[in-house]
Formats: sequence, C-alpha cells, structure tokens
Amino acid sequence: MTAIRTEGLRKEYKDVVAVEGLDLEIEEGELFSLLGVNGAGKTTTVKMLSGLTVPTAGDAEVCGFSVVKEPDRVKGSIDVSMQETAIARKLTVEENIAFYAAMRGHSKEQIEEDKKYVYSVFGLDSVAKRYAGKLSGGWQRKLSVALALISRPKVLFLDEPTLGLDVIARRELWRTIRELKGKMTVILTTHYMEEAEALSDRIGVMKDGKLLFVGTQEEMYASTGKGNVEEAFIEIVTGGERDA
Amino acid sequence: MRKFSKTFAFAKRNIKEIVRDPISLIFMILLPLALEVLFYFIFHKLTAQFEMANLAPGIVVFSQSFLTLFTGLLIALDRGSAFLTRLFVCGARSSEFIFGYAIAMIPVTLVQTVLFFLVGGIIDPSIFGVGMLRCIPLALLTSLLFIGLGILFGSVCSEKSIGGVASAVITAQSVLSGMWFPIEGLSSGMVTLMKCLPFKNATDVMRLALSGGGDPVKEHLVPILIVTAYVVASFVGAIFAFRSKMRSKNI
Repeated sequence: MTAIRTEGLRKEYKDVVAVEGLDLEIEEGELFSLLGVNGAGKTTTVKMLSGLTVPTAGDAEVCGFSVVKEPDRVKGSIDVSMQETAIARKLTVEENIAFYAAMRGHSKEQIEEDKKYVYSVFGLDSVAKRYAGKLSGGWQRKLSVALALISRPKVLFLDEPTLGLDVIARRELWRTIRELKGKMTVILTTHYMEEAEALSDRIGVMKDGKLLFVGTQEEMYASTGKGNVEEAFIEIVTGGERDA
Repeated sequence: MRKFSKTFAFAKRNIKEIVRDPISLIFMILLPLALEVLFYFIFHKLTAQFEMANLAPGIVVFSQSFLTLFTGLLIALDRGSAFLTRLFVCGARSSEFIFGYAIAMIPVTLVQTVLFFLVGGIIDPSIFGVGMLRCIPLALLTSLLFIGLGILFGSVCSEKSIGGVASAVITAQSVLSGMWFPIEGLSSGMVTLMKCLPFKNATDVMRLALSGGGDPVKEHLVPILIVTAYVVASFVGAIFAFRSKMRSKNI
C-alpha cells in the first residue's frame, strides 16, 4: 500500500521556487529519509505533505487524502515534529502530553492511555513532573517528538529531529525512531548523513527544490560508485564536480 | 461542551503559562497594588484624583493594560516557536485559538478587579457598596479591550517588537486616561482626543460605576458604548490578523 504519492508538487515563494515538480511514492511502514543541504526544500516538502502549506501546483495523496482538497483529513492521519522544539515550556511533561492529547480531541480516559504509551516509548516518566522548559535540550527534543506520537499517526514527519543534539542524545533518539519502523510510515528530513545511513529504508536527495535521487542505500552506492552515504550524497548534489 | 473542549484545553494551557511566569504576576498584580497603596497614602490629601473612589477604579483599568503586553507576548512567542504550527496540525481552528487566548485572561482580570477593590476598601471602607458589584461585569468589558489589542498585536508583531508596542498601550492608558492628573488644565483639543480614545472612557466607566452618580446616558452609557465599539474593533482586527497569518501559514 502506498502511504504518500506526489505528482508534480511545486511551491513558489514570490520569485523563489522552493520545491519543483516533486514526483515521489512512499510505501506504508517505510522509513524514508529526505537528504539535502540547507535550503534544499526538505521542510517545505514536509509542510506541503502535512497540509500546513498549500502547494502552488501539483498535488499529493497522503493516506489516500489530497493535501489540496482534503487538508483536514490529511491532518487527521499524520503528525509532525518540526525542526524547532515545539513544547509548552511552563507546563510539566505530563501536562504537555495531556494538553496535546486534549487538542487532538482525546477523552480523559484516552489521555491516561496516551501518557502510558508515550512514557513506554520514550521513557519520559522519569521527568513527568518537571517543567518542560527546565529540561535539557535532549529531553526537550524527545518530548517534542513524543507529542507527535500521541495521535498514533499513520504517517509521522520528523523534520531534522536530532538537530543540535549531542551525540548521546542523538543515538538515544535514533533508537526510539528505529523502534517505530514498520509501525508507521516515517518521513525523516536531515542533513546528517550518518543519520540517514543508520535509519533509512530508502533515501531521497534534494537540491534546489528538485529531487535528484530516490533509492536504497545500495542503489545509491551503485549509481555513484561510492561506498557510503556521505560520499554518494556529495557525488549526487555536485554531479561529481567536487572530485574533479 | 465537547464542541468547546479544544478552546478550554488551550485556555487552560495559556492560564498556566501566564500564572507560572513571575514577571507577569509582578506587573499585572504586584506593581498596580503597590501603586494603589503608595499613591493613596502619599497623595490622597493633596488631590481628589488619589482618593480611593477614583484611584481604585483607575488602578483596575491600568492593571488591565498589562493584559495587552502578556497576551501579545504569549502569542508572539507561540508564533515564533513551532508551537502554533504543531497545533495547526491538530486541526484546531483560528476561532479556537483566539477564544483560548481571550478566556485565559478572564480569571486574571477577575483577580485584579476583586483584589484592587478589596484592598482599596480596606484602606477606605467608604468605597464598599453596591457600586463594586456593578464594577465587576464592566471590568470584564474593559479588560476585553486590552485582551483584543493583545491578540491583535501578538498576531502581527514579533516577540522582540511586541514589548515596545504593548508599552505604548500601557503608556496611553496611563497618560490619556486622566487617572493620574485632572484634565481640566489641558487644551480642549487634548481633552477631545482623550474622550474619543478608549482609555479615559474605560476609566470613567469604572469610576462612575463605583460612585453610581452622574447622568445615566451621558456619563454612563456613552463611555460604555465607546469602549464597546473599541472592543469590537480590536477583536475584529485580531481575528482578521490571526486568520490571515493562519491562511498564509506564515505563522
């Protein structure tokens, strides 16, 4: 089953083309990484696919719903963790979970289940009573990602989830993301090559709003003649000019 | 009630954000309270402006002007982080956000009103009476003016610029309300301006509701209508600004 299908997806901001003619299919349960340097169009793609930004042209189906015609139904099937930490800083971790669940329309009984679920996946029970704003950066990011799981989305967008985290916090978050594989479709945007290498089923490479490559790591190595994601990525985005 | 559950959940979060910020409590509660007590004891024998019957209603409206600052700051901070983006993914509507911000400030303004009248009454028991009860619903009306302005400015200003813009409102309430000085000595043009703006009218609404005197139409109804007009205008502007930000997704 296809979780996401885009056809000619395009976004323009005044005279800048942020995403150009994106054609892509992502299967259910897949962990798909979008790689690209800053300004490649990764975040704009996530915003269009999650119904936060209306495409200038083209369309995308997410869980069978059009992002242009049925953005509310798309939002009911997905959730997003943006690259900035998005938490209520003066609420405790427990209150953040309860608040976000209530905003998703969950009942009191469901909210108690949500807390148990989030605690079990992210181990947040040890900091449940602490104010979110007082937590370390790693815990704040964990909470921010955890909130996106409350709605049990079919498709989860993780936009630069480990940006700014230290290596230990990053590895912990990788472990959690790995546990999600197969349970939901995960779209991960990152510019950390080792992150894409460690987590992805398939990788898409974007540059200047265009999708230059889609495939598995092995296909990436085969098409570029390189032996790791970083070298293969550089080969794809520079067209081999860097080596020359 | 389920229909409004997102609004109330959002309002509950907003109340917690406000009351857990000691700075907001200092400016919305402690500073006006200190001014009420100090100005009464220092100046009440010098000028009628600082007799408790005039001072307490003025302080209530002055304290409400800080609602513009803290409502605006909360919205600007929410917009500046990815917090509102996250909530837009929840499918919450702009009306639920606007009411959520506004409802959160109602308990604050009720505490301000009751506290400043209570303390005023303890200092000068002559102000205790039915007038205080009249003041409570009218305080809700005047607070909506400042809440509406807070939502409006918070929707269009950044977290860096909201402080300056909201300070202009606080200064305007202080200077153009006539609460700190008699307006008789001012030029007729200045007095006309003050009568056209909501700040003096909001203060007059509270003062006359407390005292109960004056012409029922000219001195009671007209200021209420002027304040109401500004409340409607500020909320229409706030809804328009917030919705246009949400539509453009440029939050």
